Amino acid sequence: MEFNETQTQTTQIADQPVSVATPELINGSHAVIQSLIAEGVETIFGYPGGAIMPVYDAIYDYQDQVNHILVRHEQGAAHAAEGFARITGEVGVCLVTSGPGATNLVTGIADAIIDSTPMVCIVGQVASHLLGTDAFQETDVMGITIPITKWNYQITNADEIPEIIAKAFYIAKSGRPGPVLIDITKDAQQKLMTKPFSHKKCEKLISYHPRLSPKEEQVAAAAKLINEAKRPFLFFGHGVQIAGAEKELLQFIEKTDIPAASTLLGLSSVSVDHPNYVGWLGMHGNYGTNVLTNQCDVIIAIGMRFDDRVTGDLSRYATQAKIVHIEIDPAEIDKIKKAEAPVVGDAKRALEMLLPLVNQNNHEAWRAEFKKFDAIEDEKITQPELAPTTEKIKMAEVIRTLSDKTKGEAVIVADVGQHQMMTARYYQFKKPNSFITSGGLGTMGFALPASFGAKVGAPDREVVAIIGDGCFQMTIQELGTIAQSGLPVKIIILNNNFLGMVRQWQQLFHQKRYSFVELQNPDFITIAKGFGIDGHTCGLREDLNDSLDKMLASDKPYLLEVLVEKEENVFPMVPTGACVADIRLE
Amino acid sequence: MTTYTICVFTENTIGILNKITTILTRRRINIDSLTVSETERKGISRFTIVIRHESREAVEKLVRQIRKVIEVLAVFGYLNEDIAYNEIAMFKISTPIGAKPLDIETINKTYKAWVVYWHLTYVIIQKTGTEEEIFEFFDYIKPHEILEFVRSGRVAVSKSPQTLVDYLPEAEWEYYQ
Repeated sequence: MEFNETQTQTTQIADQPVSVATPELINGSHAVIQSLIAEGVETIFGYPGGAIMPVYDAIYDYQDQVNHILVRHEQGAAHAAEGFARITGEVGVCLVTSGPGATNLVTGIADAIIDSTPMVCIVGQVASHLLGTDAFQETDVMGITIPITKWNYQITNADEIPEIIAKAFYIAKSGRPGPVLIDITKDAQQKLMTKPFSHKKCEKLISYHPRLSPKEEQVAAAAKLINEAKRPFLFFGHGVQIAGAEKELLQFIEKTDIPAASTLLGLSSVSVDHPNYVGWLGMHGNYGTNVLTNQCDVIIAIGMRFDDRVTGDLSRYATQAKIVHIEIDPAEIDKIKKAEAPVVGDAKRALEMLLPLVNQNNHEAWRAEFKKFDAIEDEKITQPELAPTTEKIKMAEVIRTLSDKTKGEAVIVADVGQHQMMTARYYQFKKPNSFITSGGLGTMGFALPASFGAKVGAPDREVVAIIGDGCFQMTIQELGTIAQSGLPVKIIILNNNFLGMVRQWQQLFHQKRYSFVELQNPDFITIAKGFGIDGHTCGLREDLNDSLDKMLASDKPYLLEVLVEKEENVFPMVPTGACVADIRLE
Repeated sequence: MTTYTICVFTENTIGILNKITTILTRRRINIDSLTVSETERKGISRFTIVIRHESREAVEKLVRQIRKVIEVLAVFGYLNEDIAYNEIAMFKISTPIGAKPLDIETINKTYKAWVVYWHLTYVIIQKTGTEEEIFEFFDYIKPHEILEFVRSGRVAVSKSPQTLVDYLPEAEWEYYQ
């Protein structure tokens, strides 16, 4: 197989030199890199291989303009690109080879589409004359990625490259962002373009018209509902951060005095200190936010999509409330929850238009109702979690101590599971654009690669990844990427030797039949040191402060493993199929 | 179950059929019939997809999801009364020597079907009409041995006075929000 691959290459290289382009005409590979540069790309997360080698040969000439980060597995490239995109709002770029290189991206692409993350994946493909022949490392990547990309396209002609890459960036970033995959056959990478290279940014497409400014009549109808509401409740989601609408959201809640709650991905858009901020929604969200969802009269949902982890049993979810739904994707309107006042448009534009139309108001009495629930939650859950009497450290105290030490201003990248929910509960976000996690797909292994992607995007901010012992072993090899690139991300493993969330469900709903959730873990610190990353383990409560200080003081990547209580549970909890009002405190 | 006809206008590029059908497959919606051809505008294809569904709401959501495909210019969901529609069917009927001869006059005048090919032992009859009309003829011709029967997908045109040019490229926003 390898032999055939080499043969093919040799023949084609003999016909057409890869790197030696004439001054006017460049080959497809150079066109790829020049187009990426023209789109403002400075960082590429990638992994080379046979079908993408011509592009890798071209990158060699552009190392002063493009920072290529060599990951250890293509899934890592995808999540790193997501981390980068989430923190910067720019398009994350991955570059991988055909076949397994492309299929390894699939989890990351699926993650990016469900969490509306802009990403362009450039994927090598076998030469066009080999398409459909089961050639070495040939996979129908187009077919595989149709349901998980916002757009995908196969390039077989070098001349198409600048236009298609421009289109890819426009589609990935505009409207509701999402991943775009461009499959480029090897011959298209190798052949000279027949015309001089020129890259023009795409600004409009005949068939795609994301609406930024909502219709005035929709905004007016929304304002009317909001102004008439006695117990309005605002939900903000990821869309606020994507639109950069944090300031407008604050102005809106301050003028109307409406209590505001976040979805998981909305966290950090409003500071936890804000008097109108009442907590977060959903399965492990706060007590008051969930219960009072079923007692408000108008819900103003901004940039969120009524995920089943937010709604619980839909037939008993906010049936009393009228819905104002501000959302850029028209397909989300009425998809789960019928909206009395849909507003299709960008959250920032919509809030700007809405602001002059809504009345100054006072909802102090209504907001005070949340406080009653907060007091109960505080007594029954939060305080015992933060000041435990158990011998072992609890996850909550780790997160809250970290929160205090970083003043609630670090970029927190959480993986998926109990530690993720604990992070969402106990980190006190005070600065917008500070929380990155895999929400929709729940991809274990997301955080380690996403954290160094985020660090590349925000080198001046402290980036801390919070990872479970199960998650960590899904993308553990990316320690190599972190070590090689020297990115000073801080990694905390909350180690309970369990797949904790599954164990919690088995305890609560499967009579404690612990089915394949206990882990025999390696010595994480030795592993990190093997990669050249320093770290230590903390198992005692009295060492926690110093341990976190030591980690944060390091100007290099650092791994802190904290041994936590083995069988703790995340509460409150709305069990699957339950009503939000029936949220359990124990 | 109600029959819905979904007309999708797309750019004519490779793989669009796959991009559309995957949206139906994921929601476990079966396609009753499907036709694709280029429209009066060069480079623009028209898909006519017929489905049956008990929920109008589900079909509306489906239409919105199809609209999200980047290459899709417009999508319209129709009930039967909104459209003029037809299918074409071909029947290969056995006519061995000694068998009861075909009543060509009835076939032509009553059923508006036409023999398009004659062979010594069989004929090919073409019938245009709605699904119901085609199956009425099917029942009529059944006593003769049917060697082969094929039905095309539905083609449909909206009864609305608007033309495709009126819908494109921006008008569909007015329709779907």
